[in-house]
Amino acid sequence: MITAPSFPHALQTTPGIAAATTDLTKTYGSGETEVTALDRVSIGFREGEFTAIMGPSGCGKSTLMHCAAGLDTPSSGSVRIGTTELSTLSDRQLTQLRRDRIGFIFQAFNLLPTLTALENITLPLTIAGRRPDRQWLDRVVSMVGLSQRLAHRPAQLSGGQQQRVAVARALASRPAIIFADEPTGNLDSRAGTEVLGFLRDSVRELGQTVVMVTHDPVAAGYADRVVFLSDGRLVDEMAHPTPDRVLDVMKTFDARSRTS
Amino acid sequence: MLSTALRNVLAHKARLAMTVLAVCLGVAFVSGTLVFADSTAEAYRAAASKNFAGIAVTVTAKESPPRAAASRQNDQQTDQQDGVLDDALARTLATVPGVAAVRPSVDGSAVLNAADGTPLRVRSGANLAGAYVPGKDGKDSKDGNDSRYPLIEGHAPTTSDEIAVDSGTAAAGHVGIGDTITLATDGPAMTKRLTGIVTTKDTRVTAGGTLVLFDRATAQKLFASPGQYTGIDVSAAPGTDQFELARRVTAVLPADRAEATTGAAQAAQQAVYVGTLTRGYAKMPMVFAGVALFIGSFLIVNTFTMLVTRRTREIALLRAIGASRRQVVRSVLAEASLVGLAASAAGFLLGLGIASVLPDALSTDGNALPHGPLVIGPRPVMASLAVGVGVTVLAAWLPSRKAAGIAPIEALRTAQQPPTGRSRIRAVVGLALLALGTGMLISLTGAKDASEENLRSAMLGCGVLVVALIVLAPLLAVPVIRLAGRLAGRRPGRLGIAGHLAQQNALRDPRRTAATAATLLISTALVTGLAVIGNSTGQALDRQAAAGLGADYVISTGNTTTGVDQAAVQRVAGTPGVRTASAVTDSTLFIGGGVRTVSGVDPDTVNDVMRLDFVSGSVKDLGPGRIAVSSTTARENGLRTGSQVNARIGRNQDVTTYTAYTVVGVYKDNPTAHDALGARNDVQRNSFKPGSVQRILVRTDGGASSTSTEDRLRTAVGNNPLLKVQDRRQLVHEAAGTMGNLLTLMYGMLAIGVVIASLGIVNTLAMSVAERTREIGALRAIGMDRAGIRRMIRLEAVIVAAFGTLLGLAGGLVSAWAVGALANGAMEQYSLALPWGTLLLVCLVSLAIGAVAAAVPARRAAALSPLEAVAEA
Repeated sequence: MITAPSFPHALQTTPGIAAATTDLTKTYGSGETEVTALDRVSIGFREGEFTAIMGPSGCGKSTLMHCAAGLDTPSSGSVRIGTTELSTLSDRQLTQLRRDRIGFIFQAFNLLPTLTALENITLPLTIAGRRPDRQWLDRVVSMVGLSQRLAHRPAQLSGGQQQRVAVARALASRPAIIFADEPTGNLDSRAGTEVLGFLRDSVRELGQTVVMVTHDPVAAGYADRVVFLSDGRLVDEMAHPTPDRVLDVMKTFDARSRTS
Repeated sequence: MLSTALRNVLAHKARLAMTVLAVCLGVAFVSGTLVFADSTAEAYRAAASKNFAGIAVTVTAKESPPRAAASRQNDQQTDQQDGVLDDALARTLATVPGVAAVRPSVDGSAVLNAADGTPLRVRSGANLAGAYVPGKDGKDSKDGNDSRYPLIEGHAPTTSDEIAVDSGTAAAGHVGIGDTITLATDGPAMTKRLTGIVTTKDTRVTAGGTLVLFDRATAQKLFASPGQYTGIDVSAAPGTDQFELARRVTAVLPADRAEATTGAAQAAQQAVYVGTLTRGYAKMPMVFAGVALFIGSFLIVNTFTMLVTRRTREIALLRAIGASRRQVVRSVLAEASLVGLAASAAGFLLGLGIASVLPDALSTDGNALPHGPLVIGPRPVMASLAVGVGVTVLAAWLPSRKAAGIAPIEALRTAQQPPTGRSRIRAVVGLALLALGTGMLISLTGAKDASEENLRSAMLGCGVLVVALIVLAPLLAVPVIRLAGRLAGRRPGRLGIAGHLAQQNALRDPRRTAATAATLLISTALVTGLAVIGNSTGQALDRQAAAGLGADYVISTGNTTTGVDQAAVQRVAGTPGVRTASAVTDSTLFIGGGVRTVSGVDPDTVNDVMRLDFVSGSVKDLGPGRIAVSSTTARENGLRTGSQVNARIGRNQDVTTYTAYTVVGVYKDNPTAHDALGARNDVQRNSFKPGSVQRILVRTDGGASSTSTEDRLRTAVGNNPLLKVQDRRQLVHEAAGTMGNLLTLMYGMLAIGVVIASLGIVNTLAMSVAERTREIGALRAIGMDRAGIRRMIRLEAVIVAAFGTLLGLAGGLVSAWAVGALANGAMEQYSLALPWGTLLLVCLVSLAIGAVAAAVPARRAAALSPLEAVAEA
């Protein structure tokens, strides 16, 4: 799963790293109005680890994730998924990479309203023209507790259920890495807790790699590791976080941004 | 609120551009047609007033009273018998006070052959002939020329062997000075030498006719009688009123034999004629305009509905902060007015373009429309504005009601509400209309004839049917598209998912899909209906044209007032390869208050050249005072074999004189035999030109038509331009020629429908793509490539197009079937014949238009970044 022959320029890289960025820089605009969203960020996401990216609004955490997931192109620096260097890929290859090796969970769920829950879950596989692995699919579906809802359309599901469909969709193709962008942002706390539980379970039980952007210390508490971003730079890192400790670090950012 | 409307228009420029284009197209046809009609009428009028410019009064012979005519029944020259229009009268007229000049003329008609031996521009009323009358007493023209026909080459005809033609005729016929020309006025062909080329301003000639000028004596011999004229034109001295002069001229005329008409009256009469002519030409473009606007109105409704839906939150917000429903409605309608105004302006300009090309587009081979400067009166301008703004505002009315219905609370809703349907009302109304339309059509199947009333009900029924389909379309969309999807099968993989998503997207808002498809529905229904009826009628005409014909060739004059000369009949009979040459005299039959055509045939040979199917009686019994009638004539007059009927053949008889005829047979309707048959000698005695023959039906040995036989026959009739030598195929072709207009109409409608439908599809898809950016971004993020997105959008367009085409086909076929049932009563040979080729073409064009129209929205969708999935709403 890690190396696919269709991707050229496979680079030597540290084993056990699912995705990594090196000196990743992203700027918007030019000249006077130039804004640096990411400033030489180098970070690796280890296989089978649940990483949370945190930081105050506008710190660049979403941009980091978009670049790492191949949704956005960096201004400079490199991004690798497994051993594949993204900057060498054409749009078509990048699309294929997203389809086959990356899973996404969005804040706004982004399910297709015209498809049933099951069709939504298997959509990346269908697009790839692959047959879903029945056993795996059953396992994923039962894990997120959707067995009774597979024929429903998104409009007939609650927000929490929709996000569970999204989680199942991300897991269905057994991607190398899952990126979750504020997955609990649109959910009430109970549904949010459920979704976070599924993400953690997928890491623990299925060995999945998950990277999650969040601003919620409670959500970050589910992760194995939290990295903190501020003004486009990596400023801190915490292993085995708890909400309280994360909150403490966040408070120092707030204080810093207030004094600056 | 007006500024809000203006800002909205500007904000949705691209969205509204398609609406503007659609309305613009309709307006262009309206204004183009009106400007064209005005310009053409003006051009005709300009030419016409030039024709009558120098003429104050024209003196012509009076129609002779019937009793006088009866006494001169055998006189060859029945029109100018009295000899009142002679040089003596001309001299008398010259002495009338106020008369400046007198110019006698001899007018008639003549057809001539082009250099290649084929008849040139033969068309009723356009093959003029006359006398070249040089000016007299130096009053007309100093060099003794005829000022009506200025010579540009050679010299005027002075002997009976010489003729002059106008420059247009010479150019079209590729003839020049010194050439020998074959021509005919009536009877046998003549050959004359071309000595002069003149110009003329007569519109009948310049619009694609011909002009032949003889010397005075020859013209008088041909068209009047020696020393006689057909008319005398009088010009007035300066300061003399036309009407006053007409009174003075009338005073010196023999009251019962000649009359005076003013030039102004003649010009006015011609203008009326020209007006009818032009109106005829304007009819088809006007139909196009109507179709374009009708179809376009669906596009308007759809666009504004989509805009209102899209702005739901914005409108709700306006309502929340205190705007009244009426203000919301007014804002939408103001926006529509602005769009209509822009469309009218653009349409008017486009219309000028249409008006300048229409004369060429409508001119056919021998029938050119006059050219002139574009005349832009207030009428086209007003009509453009009224039509453009009117249609747009009317069409936007429904969406504006919808906008008014938006509750302020919707400003607070995040998700877009799925369209709530009043589908039950729709279903009830739609089904009721469907029942009404079908009922009307079914009630007509029993109708026996295609009377005006029945036809009108049929049209209305078809219209109701199509409207019912449009109303029901949103309800039909789901089952039809689902079923089609199931039939197409769910293919796995990339194409499958793009198709599946496209299908689901098309079904997402069935009303929008239906409204988009409605344009194609209407045009497909129209074209299908026309194509089927046209094809069936065409085939019926084909069958009919050859139906009663046993002959291999028909030689004919084409009308009842000119004849085939007897010598030619003999020569045809003696041509090698000819087995039977049966002469037929056609004339009019006044029977039971109606006017019918009677054919005088030779009872001995007629069975060899006509396939007559006698219901009763026999053709052998024809003879003096004994006629046979067609079933229709028999039915109309209540005749049976053995009946006695009072009838009159020809016209050279007292109108009160009816002769008693015995009906000796009734035959099935037969276009070759016309409405009644008589013995030739009997008919000939009373025909327009007593003793003349109008057709020769020729049966050849072996029957096979070959060019050599045809050539021999042409030679036998002396290459007479007056006569048409046609085999069965050409006869059929001539009968089918009348279908040409229908074809133009059909393809014109298809083109208009397709253009507007593609605008509609572009519009709807662009809107759908704009509404679904997040969804498309998500698809891109989870791995659908650009090609997949493109395919999805394109397939959606094709599905919408296919849906519209399918319903249109259904509506068109049912309508054609219903109208066909009517036609069946009127046309013996009519049966429903499906033009598979045309129907296939219509389907392919419609589907292709879907794919093509989707190109731009599809590209735009494919260019969307996957980041759209995470963009802030």
